[in-house]
Amino acid sequence: AKAEESISAVHAFPETLIYTKSFLSFVDKVNEAGKGVIQIDVRGGPEAIGMFQQPDAVRDGIVDMVYTPGSFYGGALPEKDAMVASNLTAVETRANGGIELIDQIHQEKMGLKYLGWFDSGVCYNLWTRNEPTFDANGNLEVEGLKLRGNNVYNAFFTNYLGAQVIDLPTGEVYSALQRGVVDATGWTQIGLIDLKWNEFLNYRIEPCFFSTDLGVIVNLERWNSLSDEARKILQDVAIQHEKDSVEALRGKRDEDFAALEAAGMKVVSLEGEAKANYLAAAREKTWERMKTLMAEQPGGTDNYDRLIELFYDLDAAK
Amino acid sequence: MDWYEALALLLGSIIFLMAVGMPVALAFLAANIVGAWVFMGGERGVTQLLNNGMGALTKYALMPIPLFLLMGEIFFHTGLGGRMFNAIDKLLGRLPGRLSYVTVLGGTAFSTLSGSSMGSTALLGSLMVPEMKRRGYKSHMSIGPILGTGGLAIIIPPSALAVLLATLAQIDVAALLIAGVVPGLILAAFYIGTIWLQTRLDPNAAPAYDVEPMSLAFRFKLLMTEVVPMVGVMVAIIVLMIQGFVTPSEAAAFGALGVLVLAALFRCLTWTAAKKSVIGALKVTLMAYLIVFGSATFSQLLAFSGASRGLVNWAIAFELAPLAMLLVMFAVLLLLGMFMEQISIMLLTVPIFFPLAQSLGFDPIWFGLIMLLSLEISFTTPPFGLLLFVMKGVAPMGTTMREIYTSAFPFILCSLLLVALLIGFPELALWLPSM
Amino acid sequence: MFKKTYDTLLYGMAILAGLLLVWLMVSVITSVLMRNAGLQPFAWLFTSAEYGLLYMTMLGAPWLVREKGHVHIELVTAALPATLRTIVSRGVAAACVLVCLILAWKGFDLVLTNIERGDYDTRAYYFPRWMLTIAFPLSFGMMAIEFSRFVFGTDLMHSGEAGIHE
Ligand code: NA
Ligand code: NA
Repeated sequence: AKAEESISAVHAFPETLIYTKSFLSFVDKVNEAGKGVIQIDVRGGPEAIGMFQQPDAVRDGIVDMVYTPGSFYGGALPEKDAMVASNLTAVETRANGGIELIDQIHQEKMGLKYLGWFDSGVCYNLWTRNEPTFDANGNLEVEGLKLRGNNVYNAFFTNYLGAQVIDLPTGEVYSALQRGVVDATGWTQIGLIDLKWNEFLNYRIEPCFFSTDLGVIVNLERWNSLSDEARKILQDVAIQHEKDSVEALRGKRDEDFAALEAAGMKVVSLEGEAKANYLAAAREKTWERMKTLMAEQPGGTDNYDRLIELFYDLDAAK
Repeated sequence: MDWYEALALLLGSIIFLMAVGMPVALAFLAANIVGAWVFMGGERGVTQLLNNGMGALTKYALMPIPLFLLMGEIFFHTGLGGRMFNAIDKLLGRLPGRLSYVTVLGGTAFSTLSGSSMGSTALLGSLMVPEMKRRGYKSHMSIGPILGTGGLAIIIPPSALAVLLATLAQIDVAALLIAGVVPGLILAAFYIGTIWLQTRLDPNAAPAYDVEPMSLAFRFKLLMTEVVPMVGVMVAIIVLMIQGFVTPSEAAAFGALGVLVLAALFRCLTWTAAKKSVIGALKVTLMAYLIVFGSATFSQLLAFSGASRGLVNWAIAFELAPLAMLLVMFAVLLLLGMFMEQISIMLLTVPIFFPLAQSLGFDPIWFGLIMLLSLEISFTTPPFGLLLFVMKGVAPMGTTMREIYTSAFPFILCSLLLVALLIGFPELALWLPSM
Repeated sequence: MFKKTYDTLLYGMAILAGLLLVWLMVSVITSVLMRNAGLQPFAWLFTSAEYGLLYMTMLGAPWLVREKGHVHIELVTAALPATLRTIVSRGVAAACVLVCLILAWKGFDLVLTNIERGDYDTRAYYFPRWMLTIAFPLSFGMMAIEFSRFVFGTDLMHSGEAGIHE
């Protein structure tokens, strides 16, 4: 028999975060299924390789596998915005060939194998300290909101909402909320409790928009050097985990929402045309950014229409 | 390579290079090149080192250091600082070591509220150390208290590190922050006790000189004209922070602006003083930042190579009584603290130590505080303690690294004493949050 | 002639680093005032300050080598007799030259990679990465030259005076 192969891996977020736990359970599944064939050797999180240096590290072959949001390498691969703006999960986009297209783009542009889109189906809400107000047409009024932003949502917040965005890293948001430097932020449906921001935020604004874009990327050279059997195990387990993680995180979201509600979080929703406009702006401003950046790269906007078709279900948005 | 070989290689190279006199930043870079070559697959690992350094330096959180330095240098070069200390000297009469006490009180208030250990060490160091040296204080009487209070920033709220620790460990943020108040104040009291002891044991440590008697009205005038405006600048930026007008990272810029305005009002803002201040602040900033650039990767190499995790797992594999286990964990934290940066230590140890602490029956808030204390100590332990190098940068010519180490030592002992006290009397930490 | 041009470059870079330090203060104050006046602070204020930290460090580092401002510990060098100390001191300086040359070389590589890949730093803006990394070959290259003065020149990096001029 051939010797067992081993690939090294790091994850973008701390070990205690829910998304990291999801990745580690994927690793466990691989190591179980891959006994004697392939093992993943997790070297750690941002303490082992800096969060924002991980995409380059896997490209350069310093580490073989990385679990990270696509947004951390959006400069090299603007197509990640198709996932950011998506209203589908990995299950549907795996079936319709969307992930295959993303994989192909990763291989061409970055020399990376896109193994799987995990923890999909989780979207983002706006969370505010004070009760949000609406204008005569039911649109959210952002004037006076001290909104925290970052480069995932700024295309939407700034270009559409016209909000006054304060860029802050995740780690500084707690004390910024505490001191009143910001009083509103976007965040995924889950995780607010883990970050303790619910101590200051009292309102969740529906509808939710965007999707998480966390995925596993593997150095392509290393991927091609693996045995067929090892590659098959990795790919099969990844596809299974795409499914499993959607369900697990939906369960977690329901738990979180219930816990937040019990602690007094109120839900406020945009309705009718205002809601449709809000959602349309979230995706279109983000697509706009994607198209502009794609146009500057080799290959141009050739894949643009197909990406949108595969990653967004317009009917579901209505 | 086994974890202990990796550990020996990495620690061995950094200690050797520093000992033979390679500049600290270069020693880190050299050790990183060796480590990157071995653990990150040859020369491409060196590229990673450069990318890391860039990531570590382009961080807004580093902003307070040059700006607090600038603030302190302007105070010093315009003569505002000197005037304030003259006045304080007169007002406090004959109390031996009075400026050291002032340092502890002011440093405790300032560093805890500004939340930036390096920033406040930079400010207090550039402000106090040269003045106190000129007035005949032995250098440990100024350097020691400043290093001690610099670390207090992470124990007394607000503290970004405490928030991060609570989030990582999934414990109550508010409880951990409040738990730090009483122990933090006790630590400050220990510092005062240390100074008192030092002036008793060595009467020459601080200058003793007679002060002419002054009328109450004169004292009041002195206080209002020479002390209140300068202290007012610091109070003002603290108020701006508490009011949410500025973030802690931004506060230092307003501090520097405040001192500039003050110097202009007092008509002591000269072109030469401004130039000297920028050059002084620049020198220390460059020195400290190049160390940050180099050390960014060293912590990561310890983690990536498996050396630090190997050490942690090895240490906790001993099945000992809870108290002994606590001491083992504390020792591991102290050891890592000498060579790693605080956030990396937390990321690495929290997922391992907190479940263990829970299984041993420790209160998580109390354990979190002990962990913060170990991180506090690590700011001032050689060879990695960045506060030591910042202090080296701002201290007057002729201050040796050894003087700085020995000045820090009694204050490290204070922290250790506090840990012992917390083990004996956990209520010291837990009473206030339980209210 | 070459020396004069080189010195002008070295001090010019240091002056630029000093101006960047002042810029940090100005940019922070401006953006806070704008924010509290209810205006949207220009994102480039924030980003330029973050990039400014890197440029400042890299532009000023070679000058600081000349000023002997990079802190080092005189432990071994203080204990050695004069001749041996000279050898160790020049040896350490030579090691520094080597470190800087390696980083300058890999830094240059990185610049080429960044250009070839079209890498961007993604913050408020998409900023071409090579414009940041170009600081590495320049800075470490010049640091190598500055350290080599302590290898071959008359001046030593280490005083040996029991740590007095560390
Ligand atoms: Na604090
Ligand atoms: Na340390």
